[in-house]
Amino acid sequence: MIRIDCPICGLRTETEFTYGADATVTRPAMDETATQPWVDYVFNRDNPRGWHLEYWHHVQGCRQWLVLERNTLTHEVGSCRLAREVDHEAS
Amino acid sequence: MVDPVIPLHANLVPGRYGADGDTAVQIGTRRISSLWQIAGWSDFEHAAQPLLVACGLAGPGQYDETQQGPDVTAWRIAPDKILLEGPPDLTDFASDSLVVLDLSHARTVITLNGAEARTLLSQVVSVDVSAATLPVGSFIQTGLHGVGVLLQARSQNGIEIFVPTTWAQTILDILCQNAMPLGYEIMSPQTIHAAT
Repeated sequence: MIRIDCPICGLRTETEFTYGADATVTRPAMDETATQPWVDYVFNRDNPRGWHLEYWHHVQGCRQWLVLERNTLTHEVGSCRLAREVDHEAS
Repeated sequence: MVDPVIPLHANLVPGRYGADGDTAVQIGTRRISSLWQIAGWSDFEHAAQPLLVACGLAGPGQYDETQQGPDVTAWRIAPDKILLEGPPDLTDFASDSLVVLDLSHARTVITLNGAEARTLLSQVVSVDVSAATLPVGSFIQTGLHGVGVLLQARSQNGIEIFVPTTWAQTILDILCQNAMPLGYEIMSPQTIHAAT
């Protein structure tokens, strides 16, 4: 059982959460006119082995979107932060 | 405004059920006088402050601690979201920075009382609901049968479960089934009214 340390609710079981999306994907600039960057953004994903950043939704808790560090090989869970804070840091 | 209905009343047949012996749990419901959700964005705390002051609350509160005002109970359920039970119509506080939503008809309260109330609850949720981690005056949001619920510790042996009204009957059925080995009592609506 994966357990996730929600910054709002504390340590909870995976059953309270739903997986959202790959959190490493970056949207192309809105003035991007080439097709391939948009195809990559919408459809193409890596399938990494090891540590990865993922969006998870605490749907049965605080309903916050989270950015979770998870090892796809071992299911180890690393840091868990509010997506809003991560996005602010990136922008 | 139409008074909120208690959808479980027709299904709560007073009586003693399950295993013999001392009644371990009393299961019931209570009326929600009014329930409002306020929500906002990055300036939420600033935007909510006038409303919270009007409700007699010191601030937005903690994520795990029930906040009690003179006539209002509040739960901070997210960084920019608070549930308030008891206030009058809050629509006048709505602004471009603050959303107010009347949830009075959208939630039902199931009450558990008795020496085994926490034991019963621990069988149906994945969080620790012992008095050590859910002390009196605290609350927790979690899943029960895949349904998002809010658990509030009203006393050492008294827990309230705020359930989406559309799921109230299902959750009640699950609680009653799990309470059979313990022995439980359904409180009469008259008793419930007298207690609230």
